[in-house]
Amino acid sequence: MTFTVSTLNPGVIRLAIEGELDAVTVPDLRKEIDRLTSTSPKRVEIDLSSLRMVDSSGVGAIVSIYKRIRGQGGEVVVGGLRDQPLAIFRLLRLDRVMLGADLPGPAVNAQRNSE
Amino acid sequence: MMAEPALIKIQMVGRLQHRDLVLRSVAAACKLVNARPDSAWADFRTEVVTAVGEAFNNVVLHSYEGQDEGLVEIEIQTRPDHISIELRDWGASFDPESVPVPDFESLPESGFGIYIIKTLMEIQYKAGHPNVLTLSKSLNGSATQHDTVDGDL
Repeated sequence: MTFTVSTLNPGVIRLAIEGELDAVTVPDLRKEIDRLTSTSPKRVEIDLSSLRMVDSSGVGAIVSIYKRIRGQGGEVVVGGLRDQPLAIFRLLRLDRVMLGADLPGPAVNAQRNSE
Repeated sequence: MMAEPALIKIQMVGRLQHRDLVLRSVAAACKLVNARPDSAWADFRTEVVTAVGEAFNNVVLHSYEGQDEGLVEIEIQTRPDHISIELRDWGASFDPESVPVPDFESLPESGFGIYIIKTLMEIQYKAGHPNVLTLSKSLNGSATQHDTVDGDL
């Protein structure tokens, strides 16, 4: 699993997650969630178009970002889901709540992290 | 050519770092179920791998919570159009029937694992020493009495 954090505009963050987000890799993402939420962004775009597999712990991490940012009054958009991750989000009935339209715009100021 | 029945046994220390090894083995075993992989088989393989991943997580994170040396045995049996995976552990037991369906409306962050397993595969659990969790699935029929996956899993 790798993830990339980009600042699109002041207060607007894009988090792109690639590969497999599971019980093995999710601790790395959890650290980033803590850092990201501490800045109280007004909008977070979560790009999952390159996420290949997700398990329940990975889903839990995505839900955590969603709830924490919204709890701060921010907006969260989740986009790009396909294949297994999309099926899991549908199975857990998260598609009705969390999935937004395609995520627009190029990413700038990207910081890439990997396990 | 018909797929021949096969039996694969794996024994390891139950650590999350071994998850990938387990899932790669299960994915490879799925190839023994059908000699002509197609989209239905691809969905079957993804569902089996997803369910076994959740089951392995449960063993490591719950049955062997706080332990780093718990033994896990995995026995995979395949025959044409069918797979069954048995996971044995010597840790804490649980009752899968007592695990509630997640309260989806409240957006929970955990408690999804058993629901995912039950939805994707047939499940049998025998508490004891060892605990034995058996997951099974047929290629040509849904293995579930619960919701069906309506995506391209």
